[in-house]
Amino acid sequence: MACATPSIHTVAGGERVTDTIARPEARAGHTAGPLLDVRDLQVHFHVMDGTVKAVDGVSFSINPGETLGIVGESGCGKSVTALTIMRLLSSPPAEIVDGSEVIFQGRNLLALDDESMRKVRGNDIAMVFQEPMTSLNPVLTIGDQIAEAIQLHLAFSKREAWNKAIESIRQVGINNPERRVKQYPHEMSGGMRQRVMIAMALSCDPDLIIADEPTTALDVTIQAQILDLIRKVQDETGAALMLITHDLGVVAETVHDVVVMYAGRVVERGTVDEVLLAPKHPYTEGLLESTPSKGKRGQRLNVIKGTVANPFNLSPGCNFTPRCPYAFEPCPVHDPRIEDANPPDVACWLYSRAPGQPPPQRQRPILPPLEANR
Amino acid sequence: MDPIQATHVEGITQTGGVVEAGGPTTDFEVSLESLNQRQLAWRRFKRNRLALIGSSIFLFMVAVAILGPVLLPYDRLDITAVKKPGGNPPSLESIKTIFGTDNLGRSVLVLTVNGARLSMLIGVMTTIIAVSIGVTIGGIAGFFGGWADGVLMRLVDLVLAVPFLFIVLVAARFFGGGDPIIIILIFGLLAWPGLARLVRAMFLSLREQDFVLAARAVGVSNSRIIFKHMLPNAIGPIVVSASLLVAGTIVLEAFVSFLNFGVRATDVSWGNALSNSQGTLVQGNWWWAFFPGMAIALTVIAINFMGDGMRDALDPYSRGR
Amino acid sequence: MGKYFIRRLLGLIPLFIAVVVISFFLMQFAPGGPEQAMKESKKLTNAQIERWLNAWCLEGEDSIVATAKEFGGWAGILNCNNDGWNAFFSEQGGLNFLPRTLGGGDNGILHGDFGRSIANGREVLGIITERLPATLLLAGAALFVWVSLALVIGVIAAVRQYGKFDQASTFLAYIFYSLPTFWLGLMLIFFFAVYLHWLPTSGMVNAREWPPFGTPDFGVAVGKDPLGAIKEIGTHMVLPLITLVAVNIAGDSRFVRASMLDVLNQDYVRTAKAKGAAPRRVYGRHALRNALLPVVTNVGLELPFLVAGAIVTETIFVWPGMGSLFIQSLRESDYFVLMAVIMITSAMILFANLIADLVYGIVDPRIRY
Repeated sequence: MACATPSIHTVAGGERVTDTIARPEARAGHTAGPLLDVRDLQVHFHVMDGTVKAVDGVSFSINPGETLGIVGESGCGKSVTALTIMRLLSSPPAEIVDGSEVIFQGRNLLALDDESMRKVRGNDIAMVFQEPMTSLNPVLTIGDQIAEAIQLHLAFSKREAWNKAIESIRQVGINNPERRVKQYPHEMSGGMRQRVMIAMALSCDPDLIIADEPTTALDVTIQAQILDLIRKVQDETGAALMLITHDLGVVAETVHDVVVMYAGRVVERGTVDEVLLAPKHPYTEGLLESTPSKGKRGQRLNVIKGTVANPFNLSPGCNFTPRCPYAFEPCPVHDPRIEDANPPDVACWLYSRAPGQPPPQRQRPILPPLEANR
Repeated sequence: MDPIQATHVEGITQTGGVVEAGGPTTDFEVSLESLNQRQLAWRRFKRNRLALIGSSIFLFMVAVAILGPVLLPYDRLDITAVKKPGGNPPSLESIKTIFGTDNLGRSVLVLTVNGARLSMLIGVMTTIIAVSIGVTIGGIAGFFGGWADGVLMRLVDLVLAVPFLFIVLVAARFFGGGDPIIIILIFGLLAWPGLARLVRAMFLSLREQDFVLAARAVGVSNSRIIFKHMLPNAIGPIVVSASLLVAGTIVLEAFVSFLNFGVRATDVSWGNALSNSQGTLVQGNWWWAFFPGMAIALTVIAINFMGDGMRDALDPYSRGR
Repeated sequence: MGKYFIRRLLGLIPLFIAVVVISFFLMQFAPGGPEQAMKESKKLTNAQIERWLNAWCLEGEDSIVATAKEFGGWAGILNCNNDGWNAFFSEQGGLNFLPRTLGGGDNGILHGDFGRSIANGREVLGIITERLPATLLLAGAALFVWVSLALVIGVIAAVRQYGKFDQASTFLAYIFYSLPTFWLGLMLIFFFAVYLHWLPTSGMVNAREWPPFGTPDFGVAVGKDPLGAIKEIGTHMVLPLITLVAVNIAGDSRFVRASMLDVLNQDYVRTAKAKGAAPRRVYGRHALRNALLPVVTNVGLELPFLVAGAIVTETIFVWPGMGSLFIQSLRESDYFVLMAVIMITSAMILFANLIADLVYGIVDPRIRY
């Protein structure tokens, strides 16, 4: 699995910069508050062998038109978070614990009844999934499937919906849309199917797009195309984007803000510059360190040692302790929570004062200088 | 990696943290219990309540088949006086009248208990023959492919072209002569195509798997690949099909003998215990048809529960659980 | 699509030939053989016997060539009046297997001559046309009821997985699936017909009041009292229908449930929900259409079992169809009827399988030849 290298390079003067995207200027008509505000989300799964805390107190927010990247390993709870926002999880075995809130445009989505939630799905919030090969219904034409999304939410006639579907397909860069619209999914390649998924997501002009690992299942060359497409679409429509990925290269080129998750918790948050250029949490640092890059050619690749903890029995204290190169006394005993930190941007005893410890020095661990990336 | 060769599956039974080589010490205890596939399957089977019920009933029937004729032997001449045409209804006078009698005065209980042996024997022997032939032919066709596959599958198609029951009945009627052994042969020789198709399909897909390729690359001989690598992976559905075949054969024998085309009247099977019972049934004498049939039904239900339990135990992902 | 149909049709031809050959050989191996049976029949006139011995090349030694000639004559490919290569040609000069009007002969199956019943002397083709409608009626109704109920039960059970309905229907399915069909029939007869007197015990129509089904007389009687006929046939059909479909519904409802569950776990169902589709739309338009695909195939594969079930049911309920005809002629060693029944039924099943394949080709857009 190839990772695109984060476009972090040193410009003359020794400063590190990233190729980040510019924030949208505040657009007229948008309310000042965040578009999506997730507060203390907790999702537990009850299975035969016990209970898994898949999401354990996650909070973040997205402003209109902005992009948030959620980064983490497989199993850290990022997909569950997205599915919970859309309320696509089945209720046993999942349980959304009381106290969790998902405020979208002023309403708590978790408190909505089914029919109201259905009006939100596809219409105000749209989702693009990871597996384009299996996410489309094999027995319906793609035109049918896109038009269906349109007809579910907008009062279009069948013909109008069909035409809009053709337009959406053109918008995502597929040639010959009039012909393609009548084709079946199995007649298209993976990259093209993902474009169709994006077209379907856009068709009702949503305010928020959630993209769950949209490029993971695609070839590297197609990845770049799809990312460009997502960026272009966002520019054109002004929608906010929540991009979930494990690939830091994707994050560097596409998002404004980053949230790093580990074992169901947020461990670090910040702007993309802050998190990628000056990572604070040892896990984030480990992720960045383990990304191969031209400058490291010939050297042994860094890894984060150990494996993700057994979710059925998380130890007391910080979940990352067994794998952390900087672990010290308070780590196995006390659990650092990002909300308690000051400022609340990293969950680590290196930056927060643990009970019984002297005040932390608040310096980030020394990161060896990155070689220039030409 | 060969899923059967690598027979040890880690079953983590002790909660714990992370196993580490070197690095900062962790204080967590970890123990790993190693179970092989067979043990895991047995465990799953035991958890399935219906499968256990089925197994108990089946074992009970086997016990009846073995011990029954010893405790209640069948004697053609052991007849109770028939008080009304069509046989005596069940009464509590003696053990032998608990299920009533047939129109000749024979005890239905004795018939049922004695019929178990022959019926179950026919079921099992037929299945053994059908499985042996079916697995062999299906395996050869699936493994070698090519013209062997073509020829053998044409053969299978041929046998399957005419509905099974037609040929079975014709063969039993004209060639059977009432002899249970010939009946077994007829059933077995006509039942193997279904199994052959199943085994062939499985071998065809197994053949493409990487572990077979790996074995070949290392130089393992064909027969060893078939018996040691592929067959153990195919065994699950074969066992389940075999159990269903036993059940189906018992029912088939019952129908064929009911029509008087099967086991001769001097032997006792569940099927021929039921023969001629329809006439008295419409006059209200239900017991003659009921009890042997109930025995068949219970046995088949039991086998089906067991078969389903086996299917789930051997492949827990097979049915969308 | 048309090409697919033609190809499948052509593929059936060897199977059909196999069926014909097998039917022929089943008769050959019977003790005595057809010649013996014909000669011993009390119902056939000498003239008729002579005609067939001749038309079917039956006077011959026991050799491979002679047997082949018998097959040829019986099938209608050979003209047994001629010798050598001329046997392939009819009296009129054309190839014998062609229809009479095109210069062919008039013997054998290809010309509609299936022989006569050894037991009652009637023409076999006539007997079959009389009995076929009853089986078509019963089997057709059974197919409809069985597929509909299996779909409904299976889908509900899958959608409410592990709920009360699912648990109850699973348990009942196991029980019914395991019951021997003929025993179930007997018990139903006892309970509903003998004990409760709600329904008749056997037959298709009350023989004292109606002529046999399938005969022209019956057609006349229906004309006089259509509602009465429907009621008569209807009440007689209830128990056989239940017996015939019980096992199939039990098995297939489980299959539908499994197929539906498979589909419900697929990614595209999640996509449909993410678009904001209501549950009914998700289940109906997205899930069911995909879940039906293996079900169609399965129904096609189960048609031979329907035939077997028909044999059992018709025998128990004395339903005047092909199944009971088969058993009856088996008992009486009525060879020619037997052969005709086997051949025609097998051919119909092959054809029904073709239809099932076609339906599958229509429903699944991934199969396009």
